[in-house]
Amino acid sequence: MKPLKTKIYLLLIVTVLASCSKPAEHIEVSPELFHKSVDKVVEIMIHDIFSPPVASRIFAYPNIAAYEILAQKSTKFKTLQGKLNQFESIPKADTTKGINLELSAVIAHMEISKNLIFSEDRMAVLQDSLYAQWEIKNKEEFETSKEYAFKVIKHIKQWMDQDNYNQTRTMSKFTVDTDDPSRWQPTPPSYMDGIEPHWNQIRPFLLDSAQQFMPARHPEFSLKKESKFYEELMEVYNVSQEITKNGDESEEIAIARFWDCNPFVSVTRGHFMFATKKISPGAHWIGITKIAARKTNSDVEETVNAYTKTSIAIADAFISCWDEKYRSNLIRPETAINQHLDPDWLPILQTPPFPEYTSGHSVVSGAASVILTEIFGDEFYFDDDTEIPFGLPVRSFKSFYSASSEAAISRLYGGIHYRAAIENGLKQGKDLGHFEAKKLDL
Amino acid sequence: MVKRIVFIFLLILSCSKKQENANTNKNDAEVVAFNNVDSNVSGINFSNDLVSSGNLNIIEYLYYYNGGGVAVGDINNDGLDDIYFSANQKSDKLYLNLGNLKFKDISLNSGISKDPTWSTGVTMVDINNDGFLDIYVCKVGNYKGLKASNELYINNRDNTFKEQAEEYGINFSGFSTQASFFDYDNDGDMDMYLLNHSVHSLYSYGNSNLRTKSDSLAGDVMYENISENGQTKFINVTEKSGIYHSALGYGLAIATSDVNNDGFIDVYVGNDFHENDYLYINNGNKTFTESSADYFNHTSRFTMGVDIADITNDGHLDVVTLDMMPYKSDIFLKSGGEDTDKVSQIKKSFGFHQQYARNHMQLNNGKFFIDASLLTETHATDWSWSPLIMDYNNDGLNDLYITNGIYKRPNDLDYINFLSNLDFAKYNETAQDTLEQKLINTMPMLNLPNVLLQNKGDLSFVKTGVDKNNTSTYSNGAAYSDLDLDGDLDIVVNNLNETATLLENNSSQVEKHNFLTVNLLEFNKSFNTNGAKVYIYAEGKQFYKEQTTVKGFLSSSTRQVHFGLNKLTKIDSLKVIWNNSSQTVKKDLKSNQIITVENENTSKYVYKSEPKTELKSFDYVHKEDNFLDYERESLIPENLSTEGPSVVQADFNKDGLEDLFIGGARNQAPTLYIQKNDGKYTIKKIAAFIEDSIYEDLDAIAFDIDADNDLDIYALSGGNDYMEGNPMLEDRVYINDGKGNFTRLNSKLLATNGGSVSSFDFDNDGLQDLFIGNRSIPGAYGLSPFSFILKNRGQNNFEIVEKKRFGMITDSKWVDINNDGMAELVLAGDWMPITVLSYNSSTKKFENKTQQLGLNKTNGMWNVINISDVNNDGKLDIIAGNTGLNFKWKASVEKPVKIYLDDFDKNEKLDQLIFYDYFGKYAPFASKDKLVQQIPSLKKRFLNYNTFSTVETIFDLTQKQESDILETKYIYELRSMIYLNNGTNFSAQPLPKQAQLSTIEDISVLDNKIIFTGNFYGFVTELGESSSNSGGIISSTDNKTFNTVKTLNLPKDFSGRKIVKLKNNNFLIISNNGKSYILNTKK
Repeated sequence: MKPLKTKIYLLLIVTVLASCSKPAEHIEVSPELFHKSVDKVVEIMIHDIFSPPVASRIFAYPNIAAYEILAQKSTKFKTLQGKLNQFESIPKADTTKGINLELSAVIAHMEISKNLIFSEDRMAVLQDSLYAQWEIKNKEEFETSKEYAFKVIKHIKQWMDQDNYNQTRTMSKFTVDTDDPSRWQPTPPSYMDGIEPHWNQIRPFLLDSAQQFMPARHPEFSLKKESKFYEELMEVYNVSQEITKNGDESEEIAIARFWDCNPFVSVTRGHFMFATKKISPGAHWIGITKIAARKTNSDVEETVNAYTKTSIAIADAFISCWDEKYRSNLIRPETAINQHLDPDWLPILQTPPFPEYTSGHSVVSGAASVILTEIFGDEFYFDDDTEIPFGLPVRSFKSFYSASSEAAISRLYGGIHYRAAIENGLKQGKDLGHFEAKKLDL
Repeated sequence: MVKRIVFIFLLILSCSKKQENANTNKNDAEVVAFNNVDSNVSGINFSNDLVSSGNLNIIEYLYYYNGGGVAVGDINNDGLDDIYFSANQKSDKLYLNLGNLKFKDISLNSGISKDPTWSTGVTMVDINNDGFLDIYVCKVGNYKGLKASNELYINNRDNTFKEQAEEYGINFSGFSTQASFFDYDNDGDMDMYLLNHSVHSLYSYGNSNLRTKSDSLAGDVMYENISENGQTKFINVTEKSGIYHSALGYGLAIATSDVNNDGFIDVYVGNDFHENDYLYINNGNKTFTESSADYFNHTSRFTMGVDIADITNDGHLDVVTLDMMPYKSDIFLKSGGEDTDKVSQIKKSFGFHQQYARNHMQLNNGKFFIDASLLTETHATDWSWSPLIMDYNNDGLNDLYITNGIYKRPNDLDYINFLSNLDFAKYNETAQDTLEQKLINTMPMLNLPNVLLQNKGDLSFVKTGVDKNNTSTYSNGAAYSDLDLDGDLDIVVNNLNETATLLENNSSQVEKHNFLTVNLLEFNKSFNTNGAKVYIYAEGKQFYKEQTTVKGFLSSSTRQVHFGLNKLTKIDSLKVIWNNSSQTVKKDLKSNQIITVENENTSKYVYKSEPKTELKSFDYVHKEDNFLDYERESLIPENLSTEGPSVVQADFNKDGLEDLFIGGARNQAPTLYIQKNDGKYTIKKIAAFIEDSIYEDLDAIAFDIDADNDLDIYALSGGNDYMEGNPMLEDRVYINDGKGNFTRLNSKLLATNGGSVSSFDFDNDGLQDLFIGNRSIPGAYGLSPFSFILKNRGQNNFEIVEKKRFGMITDSKWVDINNDGMAELVLAGDWMPITVLSYNSSTKKFENKTQQLGLNKTNGMWNVINISDVNNDGKLDIIAGNTGLNFKWKASVEKPVKIYLDDFDKNEKLDQLIFYDYFGKYAPFASKDKLVQQIPSLKKRFLNYNTFSTVETIFDLTQKQESDILETKYIYELRSMIYLNNGTNFSAQPLPKQAQLSTIEDISVLDNKIIFTGNFYGFVTELGESSSNSGGIISSTDNKTFNTVKTLNLPKDFSGRKIVKLKNNNFLIISNNGKSYILNTKK
């Protein structure tokens, strides 16, 4: 009986195989696939809660891997070797093997992303279904492209692992000097430690050093009525009082909420203390990049180019900004106002857990808007629907610069930054952006 | 009077319903003496059922699952206590006790409200002085559709009641928790403290001045009873009384007791969340002063229940408060727990007191309270509500019964994560109710059995199940009473969504201990005796109980005062001290009866106020700098940078009087005190010392380094704040000019984090040799730094004889321990045994004799060793100060605390992974949140807390086998010990429990008495400060066992570091970061 059964099975398998063996089809990779992979990364980052600087690092490396794979055959885009710090050329693809470089690029993007986030199973959901499809479509092309992708991944990971990220995990926490009234203190409601106090030790992508775009000194802390600092402190307080009076419908509150981009807002309800999660400032600009790429019908190369260069600038912007934050260690408006003006005052946005100067969103928005303007041009009108998943409406902008200006000033409306951090921060970001655009031949 | 004494003849012989399966093994601590009486038998079918709705649920009302209370008292004066249950969403129930544990539900026609209003705490009290108990029920009113005011049911003396709260002026409507009735002004009537709770969630800790802002719904209220023309009436005296009445008070627990024994009843209020618990000391003039900081070092954080009674039979009232620390390691690892160090620091900076999220057992020493919950292992009983301190087995020791259970666990960390992943965009829209319901349905449920902690004396408790089925419930309020009059206390428990529990106590039949129950009456059979103190004296033993009814949580227990007497059959005398400071004494009473005592034939009682002994302070204040080691190494258990000062006593100016050199913390210069003929000291300014204020001094010795016949100083520098080799860690030698003037020797010395320095001429060449023991490798806690034995070659020239990693050294002593004429070096430190090195003069090497002497399994967290012949047998013994037993970690040779030292994440920095025995299972010491910050790869391995909660070994955590780990160290012993020298080896004798209440930091021996000082504030918040014993004197009556401890008169928050013997039995005790005091041990 037994042999008979085996035969039947064999027969079945043969039939199945036969019905599958259609002529191999070329695996087409669309720009939408890249958007999908990037979206997935954003979604997982929200779930896993990455602080804004760490999130910026997670965007950059997978994009660079994809970019470098495509740059080999591109006529428009050149390798970043020689521009990126300590970066050496990726292994070249063997042109005889029928490697689909676009496919390798998207595989590398997904794999490196998976390595950088925590909830790998969430990435695997997307990945596994794509891999299954490709395997059916053209097993050979898929296998060879994947094999090459992994060679590149290994190369990129080696480079990535030397950026000092691991070392900075175990460095000292940020010690708060409680005796100095001008210094930053942890803020309510969760009083988290200052995050990433050693981020300036992360290897930048294009900058010579974290200090390269050190902003002007902030107004010195003072509670004297005639001082610049006090004037700016009062501005935060008065603006907040005024727009609160105007209510939730006011334009300023809408702007503050739209650009909140705080990945971890703590909510306390009785015994509960939980977070409502949102995207980070970097992710918002990655979202704008997607909008621009779609609007211009960018092809795969152009899409990856836009993502890569924007994410590099954003990552360097965070390194530059964080360098200043822990240098100046300036007190947040919430702490200063509660201590000296009004113990019950609450900012409209929750104060994020790091020092005040300069405004991270301003620096990052400044840098990203320069890169996007260089790629897609000024006067680029777009509808920004990035925040829809978080219950916020669409806002429209006539250019990337008008968006970055609004993102910057939103921090004043939100009650989490003084004017100097916004204006000097935006300048810091734009200066950095222009430097990087030039270096990237934009 | 004799006629009034009612004898209750116990029907023990005829009681036959006892089943055969009663455990008769009396030696077994697990004897469960309670029988869970079935509701069909008892007739009690009350169940506090909840149905959450869109309006009212755990999200809308944070105390939705706090449950109901129980009041027990004899409403019809038939000698049997009846039971009242409060309900949240159903009507309350009143049961009449028919005897033999049969009850009748008389709610329907009793006049008790049938409305399903939200009842909370319930109290039975004779409010109108008519000899019948009335009932006061607290309500949540005015909130989310709940409408009610507190109700007062006046007893019509026929098993019916009439609601008259408004007439009496106490129909408060707000967030009431519980009312306690007591005589706050000793004028003979019952006043009322109404405890209310807050319902809002606080955004920040900053605004603590909220405490002084009045809140009409959540603020507490003090009512004074002003009886006029026979009509009882209450007036609100809150403002005048000095109590807080703000929305910052999350009052969940109240007990009223005369804790300072001055004849005026004080109030303990337990607050949930970050607000301090309040201890209102009654000033005797109708005002209170909140004094918790003067009486407690720290309290429970989420205080939910409180009881006050004498736990140690020392005549002082102790306080037990309950919190929510789990005793199962898996629940512990996945629940929100202790504050982070940063948050703890921030709260303190805002003026909140230290609080820990665990139960507290605050022992009253007559002056203040010291927490012994970790030593007694009563600190973790999960989400706990009612503590009821009573002697349940009549063995003469008060036990502790605890109810626990939270119907839904909102502090489950995975659940909190789940919340964070919800789409809250829709939260404020119409879908709110559905979303909330979904949230509530997902919240984890877990019921656990209630807990009985049996007092075994000598501060030890044995945890047992309550009944033989170990039934798991969600239990809240509870009360005790001898409901069946068989001489032991039965317990009634109000459960959530389940029939109330009636626990029949069978210990009177199983254990056959004796008892005495006292029924107190005032003139005219009034029951208003709350607060009366009852003392029993029998065969040299004293028992003390206060008659209080409001205790535990939302409940009031019997007003009868019950004493377990163990084997005692005869009471020499019984003394009742009434509220008006009069006393009634009765003599020669038999046990096993219920005796009624009235306040007749009284005499005046005078409260003796404790003599206030002035502390004699010494003119030295140590100031610690504020470096926090754990901000640099987040996995370590303790700060190593708060260890000084150093002290050397020596005659520096050769005038025959011993002077003092005291080395300070960083930025505090060493100070030289020159002794004068009158025994006083003057400071001598030394320029070289002032120049060297940047050093942190850990230890110092005086010896003649340059052989010029005067004493020079070797000052051991340290601090965990700079890396090895940094000049800030360099040791110093100060050369004496013979007159007590010092200059620093210009020479390159060791720059390490020093622990101990000592000198001895080990090779008998006439030159003092040195041991330099190091404390740590800064930045790599756990690893042993090199320590050095240096041979003095003369002319300031030292040669290294030994350079070894002996351990994290804290102390060293040179002594000839085996009387062979050659020196031994005895070492102590963290994660290492008491180590003995013996000098071999023929090999000129040191041999490790630790194992041979039987000290090899003594690894501890040793702070100090003293070598003295403490038992007068001619052989030198080792007395060693350890961390003590009042500590979260428990250690034994079988279940040591383990520290795994390795670079687990390969980032070239040491990680310290500690595991310890958590109530029977090993658990990682660091929380998941802390671990993933330090070792990010763990975040991928443990995506949720549930998987993390099963981690028991280093392999579970890191996938690395124990054998592959760079270095593993152990703690086998946490007790402070005496190692008695038997000639060839040592035998261990622990210091008595009273000396294990905190760390011991220094030891001195005088006339066979061991004088110690201790306390340590440098542990991380998760371990908590060690602050329960500033110091004491241990003596022995037989020179064999050292079991008597006398407390030294030191402040309660003293961090003792060094003891210096002065003249005439005087001792100088120097603290870390604080003042110094001179004590006389003969006084």
